[in-house]
Amino acid sequence: MIQINGLSFGYSPKKPVFDQLSLTLPSGNVYGLLGKNGAGKSTLLKIISGLLFPTHGKLEVVGFRPKDRFPQFLNEIYLVTEEFHLPAIKIEQYLSLYSPFYPRFNRSLFDEYINEFKIPRDQKLNALSYGQKKNFLLSFGLATDCKLLILDEPTNGLDIPSKSQFRKIVANAIHEDRSFIISTHQVRDMENLIDPIIILDEGQIVLFENNERISKKLSITRQSELPDDNTLVYAESYLGAYTVVTENTNMTETSMNLEILFNAVVGNKTKVNEIFKR
Amino acid sequence: MHLKNYFDLSRFWLLLKMELFRSKKGLLMIFVISFGLLFFGGLLLDCAMEKKKIFDGHPSNYVFHLMIGGFILSSLAFNDLSNTLKRYHYLTLPASTLEKFICMWLLTSVGWITVFTISYTIYTLIANAIGAALFSDMKFLPFNPLGISSLNTMKFYFVLHGILLVGAAYFKGYVFPKTLFALILFFAMGSILAYFIMGDEFINHDCGVGECAVLHEVISHDISVVLQWIFWWVLAPTCWINTYLGLKEQEV
Repeated sequence: MIQINGLSFGYSPKKPVFDQLSLTLPSGNVYGLLGKNGAGKSTLLKIISGLLFPTHGKLEVVGFRPKDRFPQFLNEIYLVTEEFHLPAIKIEQYLSLYSPFYPRFNRSLFDEYINEFKIPRDQKLNALSYGQKKNFLLSFGLATDCKLLILDEPTNGLDIPSKSQFRKIVANAIHEDRSFIISTHQVRDMENLIDPIIILDEGQIVLFENNERISKKLSITRQSELPDDNTLVYAESYLGAYTVVTENTNMTETSMNLEILFNAVVGNKTKVNEIFKR
Repeated sequence: MHLKNYFDLSRFWLLLKMELFRSKKGLLMIFVISFGLLFFGGLLLDCAMEKKKIFDGHPSNYVFHLMIGGFILSSLAFNDLSNTLKRYHYLTLPASTLEKFICMWLLTSVGWITVFTISYTIYTLIANAIGAALFSDMKFLPFNPLGISSLNTMKFYFVLHGILLVGAAYFKGYVFPKTLFALILFFAMGSILAYFIMGDEFINHDCGVGECAVLHEVISHDISVVLQWIFWWVLAPTCWINTYLGLKEQEV
């Protein structure tokens, strides 16, 4: 679905965001793109969507070069950015203007999502709340039946019921020809949804693994004392105990804590890299 | 090369409908302002202030309003590119760059000329009738939309509006004043250059009102002929190509 080879990009020649980045994302997954502020997450999403052009390297998304922005390519991707613009028109008008551009647009599916998210149909889109607007765009994107949905911080601004609805809808909408790329800081909202996980740091992919392999390789436990062997990757002190990330030597799977995992990967890249290479 | 990647008639029609829907408020505003100014300022005020027997202002009003209205419209052609959030939406809309360009080119050139000329012709018929009723001692000359003056205005507008399209594709916000400023700068530099090349020629000749041998010489000079040819045949296509390329290279 997405093939990136030796991609380089920078907003200025002196400060490259990506240098020789390579990544292959097969279809049928909900990819979680994690990274600190300024790590290049949004930039990567914009490059994949054809909104930014790489300076070097090869990039192929759903069989197209994004830079060309061919309509057939744009039919197959749908981007929901963290901040967005919606025109001052009602849902029906929006549908009649924009949905014909997507040949496989499924009206009944769209209605289903709109009802599930309880989005009022009689209001103009710009008058909806931020969360409702986001849910509207997500519903529209899902109804286009595109192959790649790119969501930048999708749960920011959503209330608690909407967050669980979002997870449910995304989990049900995935199929073998479709992928999601979800970039987020709200990792707790995404636990049990995103798999594989891509962690981006300083323009490099520092982790790209599925949950099963992460659980096999790393163990996240809560302990009163820090382990003194060399299996320790990362530890965080909290309420008189430690949340510890260690190398999983006895192959017992522990529950995933994305926040701790992220801190461990970014905080001790060398050790994590060694463990996953073994 | 798959042709549908560049142009598809049904998709183009969708885009055209969408752009017409989106620009209907702007268009209405331009029309209300234009015809309001024309009727109250260009006709009633003119008739009341100037003690003329014949009102012949329609052709000159047509030139001014077709040009200015069209230039403002052209400068707003790619308004979505001025705003980062709108830009996401516009650039990811499944239509090709060529379709987006042709759509705006068509609306701001042929579309504007046709709609404005028809509206203006209807306006002159109504305005002349009202004028004749209010100022019975005056004669109101009709407006001929297919007269030489009107056709020349259309030709000039057709060529010049491309410059505003280039501005709309490259400048972010305040397209009209920025393009105007760029043009003034360009002509100022051209004039300075012309002064250095031909200044002495003009200074040493005595040019009276309507009588200037050196000016005639310049106009009939080969370079001048070439420049005129460039204006009529090269300027507009160059602007259109530049607009298309500007659109194609847009990033967020």
